[in-house]
Amino acid sequence: MNAIVAIALNTFREAIRDRILYLILAFALVLIAVSHFVSLLTVGSEVKIVKDLGLSAISFFGLLTAVFVGVSLVFKEIERRTIYTLLAQPVRRWQFVFGKYVGLSIVLGSSVVLTGAALLVAVALKGESPFGLLPAIALVLVELELIAAFAVLFSSFTNPILAAVGTMATYVVGHLSWSFDLLEKRMAGDMGKAICRGLHAVLPNLDRLNVKASAVHGLALPPGYFAAALVYGLSYAVLIVILACLIFERREFV
Amino acid sequence: MRRVFIVGLLALAVFGVGSARARLADIDAAKSGTKDLLYMPNGKYLKAISLGHAPLLADFVYLWAIQYYSDYSQEDRYRYVEHVFGDVIAELDPGYIDPYWLGALILTTEGRDEEAGLRLLDRGFEKNPSQWILPFLAGWECQRFGQFDRAAAYFDRAAKAPGAPPDLFRLKAGMTARTGNLKEAIARWQDVLDDPRNNDEARAIAARQIRTLSVRADVEALDTAIATYRERNGRLPRRLDELVRAGILSALPSDPDGNAYAYDPSAGTVFSAASRVLGS
Repeated sequence: MNAIVAIALNTFREAIRDRILYLILAFALVLIAVSHFVSLLTVGSEVKIVKDLGLSAISFFGLLTAVFVGVSLVFKEIERRTIYTLLAQPVRRWQFVFGKYVGLSIVLGSSVVLTGAALLVAVALKGESPFGLLPAIALVLVELELIAAFAVLFSSFTNPILAAVGTMATYVVGHLSWSFDLLEKRMAGDMGKAICRGLHAVLPNLDRLNVKASAVHGLALPPGYFAAALVYGLSYAVLIVILACLIFERREFV
Repeated sequence: MRRVFIVGLLALAVFGVGSARARLADIDAAKSGTKDLLYMPNGKYLKAISLGHAPLLADFVYLWAIQYYSDYSQEDRYRYVEHVFGDVIAELDPGYIDPYWLGALILTTEGRDEEAGLRLLDRGFEKNPSQWILPFLAGWECQRFGQFDRAAAYFDRAAKAPGAPPDLFRLKAGMTARTGNLKEAIARWQDVLDDPRNNDEARAIAARQIRTLSVRADVEALDTAIATYRERNGRLPRRLDELVRAGILSALPSDPDGNAYAYDPSAGTVFSAASRVLGS
């Protein structure tokens, strides 16, 4: 347990020292601030644009953080050969991967809390209660945790470029998973239909974690939806991290 | 020599950027405006590829549309309004209310396409049944175009939406009166009078309207009876009770104060003292 905490904190400190993270964070905060001026161009509700732009900024820049920081987490240790020193200590391989993931999760959590707070203030300054956005912000964080899990998974067996491509592809496929449904209806053979059904069931459905529109329009989520989405996203992330740990356990370093 | 070459190259590059940019702007300005809109895909497809950011995309298209439709120099600018506001923005973010009413306003006020404006408001209400403001605006559009029966139907839909103010039933009753169906209008004002959600002021208005409309209905009935009498007998009746004796009316109506209607036999006109207090 101590090893996981130590690795997680070290990963967090390392990410904080990384200037890319500051850049991403600054962009997100600037975008939320700029949304105030963009909203002046509209006719009707200005606060809707502030909310949309803010939520998308949190999600998009969080995604960049998860990808850019996540994909090099394991690879960097191998490239610098610090992994040998680390694994010579009483640290199990799964503890190393899990610690890395927890560290990245803390980074993402801090980033979402900071940008989320900026959005809440921006909305409050427009004279509207911002608390209806909290479920959407929470599920954005869950989505980012899931994407980070994929980044760590890819990072555990490939180089950062391939890992970044894989993680981004997962994000895109996760938001297009409805297309497997569509494809299944168009497929003639049973085999094709079964493959579509299988892919739809196995691949992450990130739209399930997207409640931005409901939050912006102040619509209540169906009873139990938030809890189910939370469990879905976090369980999926745990599953992927376990997979990453298993792959890393079998990896051989030359 | 090298420095001169670099500076010269730099100046050439700056000139190239500046002149090409100006040329591109000229080409852009020469293009016919609505051609841009031909390439705007349906919101359903944009939503599919928005990767969870459809509401933001709707905001951007809406902001662009505001700027586009603010430019009065665009040719044929009303041709794709319904597509932009209805098929693109509304499909991207069905809960976004502003584009429905703004699009309808552009269509009805500037584009003079009332049906398209009403279709857009209908679409908005279909997707947002709690937004009574949409049929409310549609009602006013119909009123503006003199379609009072449609206006009454829209105010009825607005009034029945959850959270709608009870005052909307007054608009429905008012529009019904303007269709000329006075009996129906009196019944609708009676609904307002009986509605416990209405305050004293609203009830007082309803009572005055019922009084006015009752007088109008009675006077209209008497005028029709007088015209029938004149047709049959070739002269005006000397007194109103001749209409009953002639079998044209079964009984003479009384005004809301219980008094008989006054009659001028030389002109054949009917009036009531009760109508003088109307609107007080």
